[in-house]
Amino acid sequence: MAMFIDLYTEADTFLHRMDPRVKVVSILLLSLLAFLVTNLYSLLVLLAFIFLLLFLSRATLSRTLFALKFVVRFMLLIVILWPLFDPTGTPVLATLGPVKITEPAIWRGVTSAVRVGCLATVWYILMFTTSQRDLVRALVKMGVRFDFGLALAISLRFLPTFGALIENIKDAQRARGLELGKGGLLKRSKNYVAVLVPTIVSALRTADTLALALQSRAYGARADRTYLRDLTMRAADYASLGVVIAIFALPMIARFVFDIGI
Amino acid sequence: MIPSPIPEESRQKIISVSDLKYVYEGGVQALNGVNLKVSKGEYLAIVGGNGSGKTTLAKSLNGLLKPTSGTVLVAGRSTIGLRVAELARIVGYAFQNPDHQLFCATVEEEVRFGPTNLGYPEEVTAAKVEKAIEAMSLGRLRKEPPLSLRLGERRRVSIASVLAMDPEVIILDEPTTGLDAEEAAELMARLRMFNDDGRTVVLITHDMKLVAEHARRVVVLANGRVSLDSDPRGAFSDLDLIRQSNLEPPAVTLLSHRFAEYGMPQDIISPEEFVLHLLRQRGGI
Repeated sequence: MAMFIDLYTEADTFLHRMDPRVKVVSILLLSLLAFLVTNLYSLLVLLAFIFLLLFLSRATLSRTLFALKFVVRFMLLIVILWPLFDPTGTPVLATLGPVKITEPAIWRGVTSAVRVGCLATVWYILMFTTSQRDLVRALVKMGVRFDFGLALAISLRFLPTFGALIENIKDAQRARGLELGKGGLLKRSKNYVAVLVPTIVSALRTADTLALALQSRAYGARADRTYLRDLTMRAADYASLGVVIAIFALPMIARFVFDIGI
Repeated sequence: MIPSPIPEESRQKIISVSDLKYVYEGGVQALNGVNLKVSKGEYLAIVGGNGSGKTTLAKSLNGLLKPTSGTVLVAGRSTIGLRVAELARIVGYAFQNPDHQLFCATVEEEVRFGPTNLGYPEEVTAAKVEKAIEAMSLGRLRKEPPLSLRLGERRRVSIASVLAMDPEVIILDEPTTGLDAEEAAELMARLRMFNDDGRTVVLITHDMKLVAEHARRVVVLANGRVSLDSDPRGAFSDLDLIRQSNLEPPAVTLLSHRFAEYGMPQDIISPEEFVLHLLRQRGGI
């Protein structure tokens, strides 16, 4: 019952073929850019570019929305809550007791929501086009210790497993008449013990088994690891990296050299 | 050894599923028009290969999953309007992995959890807990922490914790997985007693030997539909259909098919029957 799925989807697009190192660097640069850009219109341009990449990676809209549905809810929450807690700026549109709604605050809320949208989408593209194996290989190649890479790979691999496990445990306890959302705060936290204990116990049992499985395959027997598949940069990878660096650098030059607001 | 089917019309329907479809979030269609009526007191096995929709169907029967379309009536009421906790009084569900249910400090507390949630008065709860502990012969272990027990014992605790809610129907998902032959036989004997008590047992399993020995009715699921609904004898005589559903008939049934040319009947489902026919043919009886 694949309620939780690995985001990676096999396909043959230039983003899928791209060297994972280039993808990681690109995603980092684009994320950084999303933080440095303060102007809503520039952010929208960035979002449009990211959506173009999404389109090129052949992610269907329905799958993307399904994967990002919590992000979309989070964005709505930002748009709604920001003006309520940010009373600065003029003109003031409405005053409700201590709450002051101002026009700039509304725009700041929208800007932050778009920024979150940019970040989520750009990372979604990375996860959508890069298998976890490639991702870890890239990180290790970029200097991350193999142990950490493996730990990361295992965590990523088991996230959906534990998601499904928790759902199953919730179902198992609901079948015993447990109603998680019912009662006061104390009763509710008590209810969650019935989910938490089996989750932790099952997780520990899984971890134990996994450690044995790793050892039985001689994990750590050699300090210098060899790899079945190595990563090589191709011309297209250098070109892509160049394009992304340019996309990152141009607004930076505009801002810090020519003092143009971005 | 082989229980004879009780005439269906003489009994009351406890579960009535019509044209049930279920689509998971994300688009996987697990059930595609299931029709199934279960009467009180039946011993039913739902079988099918992996991904055939067994677990989805089972979760629909106690309201954990609500139909995408179609209806599931439990004791005459649609599951759509009922909470899982309300349905738990009628349909108990013991999950495959007992470790997904056990969390209390002692076996007794564990068994008590369900009836307490259902809000029975204390003396009723106590009585139900006692009955369940006895039914799964856990008296000796009642003060033990359930998580430190052996798998067979943990499975019995998890089943007792469902029995303690005193349901009309109990659904068991692969109850014998990981048990040795003796533990499995003991568990199945205890379930038989529960069934003899007039309660309904729904077994979800891959194990055709278990089905042949215990169930009175077999429902085969394939691709989210009921592909066969019959007594075990009828079900296993159609080898092709069973195999198309990614199942393997009991070894003794396969053996009887090998002996077809020597006049062995094709609907043998127990070793006793096989021996009986063999002796009969040789003039031994």
